[in-house]
Amino acid sequence: MSSSNIQNTENPKTSIWKALLIKEDWWAVWLGLGIVFIAYGFYLAGSSISWIAVAPGKWSTFGDLREQLAQNGSRYIALLLALTVLFTIVTSFIGQKAKNFIRSFLFIFILSAIIYIIGSWDQANKYNLEPPLLALALGLFISNVIGLPKWLDAGFRVEFYIKLGIVLLGATLPFTLIMWGGPIAIFQASIVSIVTFLTIFWTARKLGLDRRFAAVLGTGGAVCGVSASIAVAGAVRARKEDPPIAISLVVLWAIIIIFALPFVARMLHLPTGVAGAWIGTSEFADAAGLAAAQSYGGLAADTHLAITGTADQALASYTLIKVIGRDIWIGIWSFILALISVTIWERTETKSRVQAGQIWWRFPKFVIGFLVASILTTLIVQGYSLEQYNTTVKPALITPITSLRTWAFTFSFLSIGLTTRFKELAGAGLKPFIAFTIGVIVNLILGYFLSVKVFADYWSTIITN
Amino acid sequence: MKIFKHIQIVPYPSTHRCQHCIHFENDPALIETALKGLTTLSSAYASVRDSDGLCSYLGRYLSAMDLCDHFSQKTIQTSDKNTYDI
Repeated sequence: MSSSNIQNTENPKTSIWKALLIKEDWWAVWLGLGIVFIAYGFYLAGSSISWIAVAPGKWSTFGDLREQLAQNGSRYIALLLALTVLFTIVTSFIGQKAKNFIRSFLFIFILSAIIYIIGSWDQANKYNLEPPLLALALGLFISNVIGLPKWLDAGFRVEFYIKLGIVLLGATLPFTLIMWGGPIAIFQASIVSIVTFLTIFWTARKLGLDRRFAAVLGTGGAVCGVSASIAVAGAVRARKEDPPIAISLVVLWAIIIIFALPFVARMLHLPTGVAGAWIGTSEFADAAGLAAAQSYGGLAADTHLAITGTADQALASYTLIKVIGRDIWIGIWSFILALISVTIWERTETKSRVQAGQIWWRFPKFVIGFLVASILTTLIVQGYSLEQYNTTVKPALITPITSLRTWAFTFSFLSIGLTTRFKELAGAGLKPFIAFTIGVIVNLILGYFLSVKVFADYWSTIITN
Repeated sequence: MKIFKHIQIVPYPSTHRCQHCIHFENDPALIETALKGLTTLSSAYASVRDSDGLCSYLGRYLSAMDLCDHFSQKTIQTSDKNTYDI
C-alpha cells in the first residue's frame, strides 16, 4: 500500500500525558505518593492511617488469633475495600476488565491475609514459615498442581504490586541513606553487571548463538531479569523466539535463588545488611529479590539463629544495590546495545537510527516515586529527636506505611507463584541454558565476594533510621 | 565522529514508523500472551518495555519507533493505547 500521502495524526503532547496513565510504573508512583501524602495529612491532623493499615500482631495460640481477628475484622474489610477500589481504578486505566480484576484481587487478598497471619505466629521462623517464601511456595503449588482459570490472571500483577511496595519502601528509608549508600551500590552492582553480561554474552557466542540473542540473555542475567531482557530485545530487534527463552531461564533461576540465597546466607550467619547486598547483586528480578531479602531479614527477629542486623537493613541494602545500582541503568544498556547492533552487528531488516530518547522512555519510573517518597519522609522527620521519632512519628506515620508496604509485597510474592506455570514456559535448549547458567554462577560468586569480603563492613552497618 | 550519525536525538515525525505498520502489534495484553512467562517477573505495562512489539513480517520483537522497507500502513489509523511519543 502506498503511504506517501499519510499524515502523522498523533499529538506528541497528548501522548506524553497518556504515558502517565497507561504505565504501571507511573501508577505505582501516583498511588504510593498519594498514600504517603494522605498518611502525612492524617499525622498533621493529630491522627493516623493506622486504623485502616491493619496488620496481624504476634500471636501464639488460636485463642489469641481469634481474639485479634474479632477485634480487627472490620479493619481488614475496610482495607480490602479501599485497595480493591484503588487497584481497580489503576487496572481499568491500563485496560483490564474491572469485573475480572475484582474477583481475582479478592482471591489474592484472602490468601495474602492468611499468609500474613501465619507469618505472625511466634513459632513461624522455627518451621521456616517466612511469609515471602510461604507466599511463593503456596502460589507455585496452586498454579502448578491445582490449576486456576485464566480469568483469575487479571489480579496477578506482580510488577505493579512490587513497584507500589518499593515506592512505599522509599517512604521508610532516609534520603541520607540513599545519598550515602548509592555510590557504593552503583559501584558494586556495575562490576557484577558488566562481568556477568560479558560472561553470558561471550559463552553464548562461543556456543554459536546469535549476537542479539546473546545480548538478550546477558542483560537478563546481569541487569534486571525479564524486564531487561525484553527492553534489550526491543532495542536490538531480537527474533521473536528469543525473549520467551530468556524469560524461561530468568524465571527458573530466579525461583531457585529466592529459596537458595536466604538458605545459604543463613548457614553462613551473614548479617542482614550483607545478605541483602548479596541478594541485590545476584538475584535478577526486583520481586524475586525482595522476597529473598525480606525473608532473610525476618530471620533477624529470631535470637536463636544468631543473625545480626535488622529486617530493615536487609531491605535497605538490597534496594540500594538492585534499584539504584542496577535497575536505573536499563535505558543506558538498551541504548548502548542498540548502538552496537546498528554499528557493529549485521543489520539488514530495518533502517532507523538509534533513539537516544529510549534512555528515558525505558527508565523504570517507579524509582522516581521511591526517591521522592524518601525525600518527603526525610523532610517530615527532620527536627524530631530520636525519642520523638520513636514515640510519635514512627507509630503514627512510618509503621502504617510499612504495613501497607508489606501487604503490597505479599500480593506480589503470591502472584509470582501464581503466574509461574512451568509447563507453559518456553523450552530454552541446552546452549542458552549453559550460557545463562555459567553467568549465574559467576554472578553468585562475584556477588558473594564483593558483599561478604570487600564491602562487608559497609553493608553490615547500614543505618536505616 | 561517525557513530553520531547513527543516533537520533529528537524522534523524527514519521508516519512510516513500525507503530503505524500493519505488520506490527504491541497491545500489552497481546504481548503478555505472546511472551509466555512475562507476567511472572515483569509486565507488558512496564516503562522498560516502552512501546515495543512484534513484527509478523520480519518475525522480530522491535521498537515501535523503527523504520523498515516493508512498511505497510494500517488501514485504520488507530492510536495504540500503549504507544506514545516523547
